[in-house]
Amino acid sequence: MSLIEFSQFLYDSETGTAIRESLFVFPIIEGLHLLSLALSVGLIVFTDLRLIGWFLRDVPASQLLRELRPWLLGGFVVQFITGILLFWALATKVVELPIFWIKLVVILLAGLNVLWFEFKWGRRVSEWDTQSTPPKGVKLAGWASLAFWIIVVVSGRLIPYLQYK
Amino acid sequence: MSIQALFDSIQHSALSTSITRLDHLFGALAQLAHITGLIFLLSSIVLVNLRLLGFGLTQQPVTKLARSTTRFIWLGFALLAISGLFIFVPAANIYYVNPFFWIKAQLLVMAVIVQLTLYRWVTTTNTPNPILAKSTAVLSLSLWFSIGISGRIIGFLN
Repeated sequence: MSLIEFSQFLYDSETGTAIRESLFVFPIIEGLHLLSLALSVGLIVFTDLRLIGWFLRDVPASQLLRELRPWLLGGFVVQFITGILLFWALATKVVELPIFWIKLVVILLAGLNVLWFEFKWGRRVSEWDTQSTPPKGVKLAGWASLAFWIIVVVSGRLIPYLQYK
Repeated sequence: MSIQALFDSIQHSALSTSITRLDHLFGALAQLAHITGLIFLLSSIVLVNLRLLGFGLTQQPVTKLARSTTRFIWLGFALLAISGLFIFVPAANIYYVNPFFWIKAQLLVMAVIVQLTLYRWVTTTNTPNPILAKSTAVLSLSLWFSIGISGRIIGFLN
């Protein structure tokens, strides 16, 4: 089954059609997808700002990461679930938009950046934790994360903008 | 002048005409600025209110977290207000008949009042009454998120 066929299959499915045609369910899902940004991307921006040394410099980075992680991950879970539901309802329309694929690729890059950061710096957090200006590599990970998430939000907002035009 | 006439004159003002004449690119930029402002404002509110509720960063004093997020709240609010006006002015008459525009406006007034009174008080006092602090956090979160929800509904009704 090709991607076009698969998206057509989702689009025509009972669930996809029900979400798309519902008066309330679709706006609620879209609203949750938007507002959970305050937890997911919003809180990750604060941790990134800490990593580049622009926010709460005297708070250990590990403390900020640890304390915000459950909320941040909770936000991403909501984002992921609502994202899948939105895709289910609009599959054939969004697969045609290059911006949708850009968004997915950049989410993947942001995820890889997190893995690299955890592997390279997360394991020896005690060595750089309390420095108000973290090491270059840590700063780089923070900047990369900021850049990736800005692109994700911008491309995400452009999906309905380009689709409804 | 009635409010309806006021909205009509806003839509037909010189500012409105000059916004309408701009490239569509500016419309998209206004939407992007609005969502960026939303992220800065809401996540700052979330960060401080989680602390007030005792759900995160409890090792840090409330006053310190409030101080370090103030500039992000202002940045977010400024982005939201400017882009919001940019989106509103050329289509004022459409918003006049949208009930959620008025709900959003009322919630916004309440949120700003809470922000400048209760929120400011509990985040500048070293040991605020815990019940007052928690109630303020719940009120603040409910108001700001309701504004976001109303904003989304405005788009669906227009």
